[in-house]
Amino acid sequence: MAAGRLITVCRGFATALKGPGRFTFSLLNKIRANINPFHQYKLIHTTLSRKGLEEFFDDPKNWGAETVKSGAAWTHEQLRCKSNEDLHKLWYVLLKERNMLLTLEQEAKRQRLPMPSPERLEKVTESMDALDKVVQERDDALRLLQTGQEYPRPGDWRKDIFGHIIWYKYKQWPIPWYLNKRYTKKKYFTMPFVDKFVRLRLEKYLRSETKKKNLKRRKEKILQRKFPHMSAEAQN
Amino acid sequence: MRLSALLALAAKVNLPPNYRYGMSKPGSMADKRRNPPWKRQRPVLVEPIPEDSWNVFCGDIVEILEGKDAGKQGKVVQIIRERNWVVLEGLNTHFRYIGRSKDYRGTMIPSEAPLLFRQVKLVDPTDRKPTEVQWRFTEEGERVRVSLRTGRIIPKPEFPRPDGIVPEQWIDGPKDTSVEDALERTYVPCLKTLGEEVMEAMGIVETRRHRKVYWY
Repeated sequence: MAAGRLITVCRGFATALKGPGRFTFSLLNKIRANINPFHQYKLIHTTLSRKGLEEFFDDPKNWGAETVKSGAAWTHEQLRCKSNEDLHKLWYVLLKERNMLLTLEQEAKRQRLPMPSPERLEKVTESMDALDKVVQERDDALRLLQTGQEYPRPGDWRKDIFGHIIWYKYKQWPIPWYLNKRYTKKKYFTMPFVDKFVRLRLEKYLRSETKKKNLKRRKEKILQRKFPHMSAEAQN
Repeated sequence: MRLSALLALAAKVNLPPNYRYGMSKPGSMADKRRNPPWKRQRPVLVEPIPEDSWNVFCGDIVEILEGKDAGKQGKVVQIIRERNWVVLEGLNTHFRYIGRSKDYRGTMIPSEAPLLFRQVKLVDPTDRKPTEVQWRFTEEGERVRVSLRTGRIIPKPEFPRPDGIVPEQWIDGPKDTSVEDALERTYVPCLKTLGEEVMEAMGIVETRRHRKVYWY
């Protein structure tokens, strides 16, 4: 009964889509025409579909189901074996699945019902993060080989007016720095009168570090007293 | 792509610094009722056992050394690592009522209390007596538990997955990639970024020239 209400809403959405007519983006079609759909992805997920919005919803067979079966997430090792084109296509497949699950989650919240199989969203998120990490690794490797730069965005160690040494990330500007009023107003140097405060801050930091170390030692002593065989095992 | 990292941070479960782990799963309704966010208690002293020394896994047969059911053997059903707890099936039980309503007192059921890691011992499958266990490496290089008294290897037990999936009986759904397709290696290393390779494959030619920008 409760699940049935979710079905009626989904159906309502679908009929609303078919009513006003399909809208297609001509630019998107130009790109779509060049992609060969992958043989392992089923028809519902090929990019040759013209009725865009239905992909925000699950297969109509699963509407109203309490649980939906799903496989495991993509692991880093599996993704490292795939070519860049495969990863590119997989990213968009995962993205559409994620959008569908997020729509489902929001609709379930609106209806005040439990979402069927929320672990699917976690798996998709995990897969997308793993994919991002693999692509980043490949990019980093190429950049290190070709240029020797560790970071994709240029940066610098600078001192701000408070005496902190910060990693300043470069920004893109249309004009050089000596013409840039906004940039020259920001000061990336420390005046001598700030040195006293820098020393005070350093003392505070050292004091907190010592406190942490002493606390750790005290906790260790308490644990040793309560679990005397711990040290005997540690020696073994 | 950096948005995904931001969303991940927001979704992570934040527990207060001296959170006391109980039998309930953190984040569940029972746990929220027992440990509201303003609750502050002295932390429980938990013996720090390194990951390498942990012997007991779900599904093992262990014997209880001390307590109400001392001397009895049982299967491990749940492990709560943060408190070095081991829950055995049907042993060390106390009784409680479940399904209470206003007029009905509820049904009495035995509920297991957790035991500490030091209060149980692994049982040797040959003579079914508790033994000390050491981690050793086999000829193949596999890390296994070896009973010190008999020298028999105690294999890691089979335990059903929490999501109820049996890998041998799995059938792929419509949205799942098959095993061969997932393990198929299509990567050919070359000196191109993902963007460049995909543009070549899709036949996109970038004719726009990048305007000169200053980086500082």
